[in-house]
Amino acid sequence: MSSDAVKKRKPKVIRNEAGTPETKRGRGEGDQDVRVYNEEVELEGRDPQQDYMLYKDTCAALANLMAEIQELKSGGAKVGSVEIEERRRQCGVHFITLKKLNRLAHMRLKKGRDQTHEAKQRVDVLHLQLQNLLYEVMHLQKEISKCLEFKSQHEEIELVSEEEFFQEAPAEISRPHVTRDDHHQLTLARLDWELEQRKRLAEQYKLSLARKEKIQKAIEQKREYLSSLQPGLQNIMQASLPVQEYLSMPFEQMQKQAEVARHLPPPLYVLLVQAAAYGQACDKTLSVNISGDVDEAKALSRPPEDSQDDESDSDAEEEQQNTKRRRATVGVQLDDKRKEMLRRHPLSLCLDLKCKDGSVLHLFFYYLMNLNILTVKTKVSTTTDLSGAISAGELLNSESLLNCLYASDHGKETPNPANRYQFDKVGITTFADYVSDLGHPYVWVQKLGGLQFSFDGTQSDLRGSSLSASHMERTMKLLRGRLQARLALHKQFSSLEHSIIPVSSECQHLFPAKVVSGLTRWTMMSYQEFTELSYVQHVLKAGLVSETDLFFMAVVERGTARLLTAVVVNPRYPEVMPLFSLSLHWKGERSGRTDDNLRAMESEVNVFRSELQGPRPGLQLLTNQIQRLCVCLDVYLETESQVCDGSEGPKEFPREKMCLRTARGPSRLKPFKFNHPQGFFSHR
Amino acid sequence: MGPVELLHMSVFSQSFSPCGRFLAAGNNYGEIAVFSLSAALSPEASEGSQKPILNFTAHDGPVFTLLSTDTHLLSAGNGEISAWSWAELIKKTTKAAWTRKPSYETSLEIPEINAMIINPKDNSLIVGGGDNNIHIMDMETGIFKSVLKGHTDYIHCLCFKEREGEILSGGEDGAVRIWDSRTNRPVHCIEVFKYEECARPQFGKWISCLATDSDWMLCGGGPSLSLWHLRSMSPTSVFPLPGCQREAVFHQDLIMSVGEGPYVSHCLHGGTVKAQIPCTPSSLNTLALNLKNTEHRVMTVGGSSHQIDVFTNFSYRAFSLSF
Repeated sequence: MSSDAVKKRKPKVIRNEAGTPETKRGRGEGDQDVRVYNEEVELEGRDPQQDYMLYKDTCAALANLMAEIQELKSGGAKVGSVEIEERRRQCGVHFITLKKLNRLAHMRLKKGRDQTHEAKQRVDVLHLQLQNLLYEVMHLQKEISKCLEFKSQHEEIELVSEEEFFQEAPAEISRPHVTRDDHHQLTLARLDWELEQRKRLAEQYKLSLARKEKIQKAIEQKREYLSSLQPGLQNIMQASLPVQEYLSMPFEQMQKQAEVARHLPPPLYVLLVQAAAYGQACDKTLSVNISGDVDEAKALSRPPEDSQDDESDSDAEEEQQNTKRRRATVGVQLDDKRKEMLRRHPLSLCLDLKCKDGSVLHLFFYYLMNLNILTVKTKVSTTTDLSGAISAGELLNSESLLNCLYASDHGKETPNPANRYQFDKVGITTFADYVSDLGHPYVWVQKLGGLQFSFDGTQSDLRGSSLSASHMERTMKLLRGRLQARLALHKQFSSLEHSIIPVSSECQHLFPAKVVSGLTRWTMMSYQEFTELSYVQHVLKAGLVSETDLFFMAVVERGTARLLTAVVVNPRYPEVMPLFSLSLHWKGERSGRTDDNLRAMESEVNVFRSELQGPRPGLQLLTNQIQRLCVCLDVYLETESQVCDGSEGPKEFPREKMCLRTARGPSRLKPFKFNHPQGFFSHR
Repeated sequence: MGPVELLHMSVFSQSFSPCGRFLAAGNNYGEIAVFSLSAALSPEASEGSQKPILNFTAHDGPVFTLLSTDTHLLSAGNGEISAWSWAELIKKTTKAAWTRKPSYETSLEIPEINAMIINPKDNSLIVGGGDNNIHIMDMETGIFKSVLKGHTDYIHCLCFKEREGEILSGGEDGAVRIWDSRTNRPVHCIEVFKYEECARPQFGKWISCLATDSDWMLCGGGPSLSLWHLRSMSPTSVFPLPGCQREAVFHQDLIMSVGEGPYVSHCLHGGTVKAQIPCTPSSLNTLALNLKNTEHRVMTVGGSSHQIDVFTNFSYRAFSLSF
């Protein structure tokens, strides 16, 4: 094209790195007149600003030329006309100019970069030198500080103060003329003095040890002498025994007991002391004895170091044996751990409470060492043989005899809260399983032993003996009362089973002379059977019954009428009144819920404790309640005026009781209250 | 009051205060308890607000009837009537304003007082009880001005007809007697048990509840609860309720009655039993409607239990107050 033509006319140019812009160099090839053209050098001579202006002008000229060509072409000029070609040529020249300018720009850029690079390298070298020097400086500084911190061992020795040193030390060591000036010498001197002193003290120590040995030997001799006196004293004591018996001062016996008592665990000891004190002061019939194996107790309290030497030998022997035997299974191991946890102390106390009628309550107190609680087992012995009343089977059962001595003290779970964690370790879920074997851990037993496991914040901070003393009298009274109540009930039950209500002479005034309704049956029930009865649900709902109570069924009959009575006796009888619930079978079935008069009879029997309890200690309560029930049934049946099935005929129960009015009040209640001595019935 | 005493307690009478915010109840131990209805019905009511604000022994026999005047609460025990100022009771002072005894002939056993009503016309108190007679006492002077004799057995219930000024009394002898209050003379005597439709000989003949509403009278007890038209002196409807009713009231177009059986019966005038709403006590003695106060419009029932059921909507039991 035309641009190629333009290029052909230009001479070839070879670019060169160094030297002047234009150098004519003759070459071996020589067929072409080559000009060595060094643009680099030229570059230095040119001004970038000028180049920029040149660039702009060239662009403008190009634009103009293009516009002219455009005009010519649109004016209808032929392609290839002279003006167009002229202008085309000029455009070509302008393009070349532009190319040169572009090249120059690139070259300028490269030059600038190279210069920058060089300068950077120089700076880096210097920087490295600087860093090396800094590093060295730091190193030297560290070395210096290390040297300064060096402590020598001699500073750890405590030396006497300088004034003391100068005062005490002899002149050849202290050398004041030298040391006062030179600190180093002073320290050396002080060290010397220290050494001197220590040697002196070591001498003294040896001398003191020797003296001590001598004195020890003297003491041993004297001890031997004293122990040789012992058998002589024993002989004297033996000889005095008959004298003691003659004078009835069981001095020796008490001493022996005191001797054994020394090996008792603390709670049992407290109990022993308090019980003995109470017995002496208030209750001559109470007696306390210690029973059990004293040697085992002594073994327990032996110091552990002696046994360790034995153990190490026996361990060696056992190991040899064990390798032959198989290891015990996990279950057996756990069992052993359990047994170990529940271990009883070998000594136990036996407390005897005697009552006026000759029956005795034996209490055996045990101490469980690892659990730190006391337990008790009971036994009752009576002078007369207790007749076999079937319903009385549970009364004197040693498992439940002392149940609920204080309200809600069931003795089934351990009162020590720490035992819970111990039980978890050996897999005991409830203590109740072991209670029959180990005894009952009642709260009052713990209190008598001075053990306080705080539950309620109201408890005072009594501990030990004062706690035991504060509870002793009340507990003993309750125990005796419980035994008497149970024995009384036992006797009453055997009468009741023969359908005789044993009303004592002091209580005869509560009832009229003639009572026609009679008790025909008295049997014991279980808690399960009780809850199934329909007419006791109101008592269960009111929460007045628990599983530990005793349940009985009494049947009172007169003619065709049968009164079924469910009786709930609380273990704390007679402190807590027995509860009666009634169901009458006579021309239909009625209960206290459906018939207001039966409800009035229930309240007559359940509520009036002060009337029914009889002379103190209120052991006639149950029999009086039953007798009153019979009297009320009589009144109920005799005052029933309406004949239910509508027919007129002779009444089954003729009126014999004297009543002023048979109905009173909106609910038309019958007169159940007996007035003595007038002997008539009235309303409350 | 131990749990055993509570188990054997019966509530016999109730009365609302004149302002309608308090309820007084009397029981068989002679105690009166005052409950705060506004506390028990408020949204922040707790267990404690269902207990009485005041509980005291008013008489030594059971309190069979309570009555409220504009200022005082009248209570009846064994043969005596005491008045307590409501203002004092709310302030928890338990001193009786006055105590009067009607004159009784026999002295061997003191008769009880079963019913009391007020005759607003001449401001007199009419009481009936165990001595078979009705005594009328003037409220201002306190003198017992007259005795109405006629019943042969003790009186259970009393009622007053304002328009004619007549006193109706029902008794154990089965007779409903109507007396003129001005002349104090008997006007009529209806022996309900002689009417075949009402009579229930298997129960007995006593009348234990009476209520009147203009010309209509309700009576029941041993015989079935029946609605009588007084002009014609004949029973128009008999209600087939199984137990013996002890109290019945007219309320709007319903008849509500309580008695033996643990429910409140709603009946229609026609003789049908519309509903029987169950309650906690196993048999009921008293029913009271608080109509004086629109905020605390409740019905309360009490009977053989220490709990008094409260109905805010008459169709079901809302909660129970407890002695």
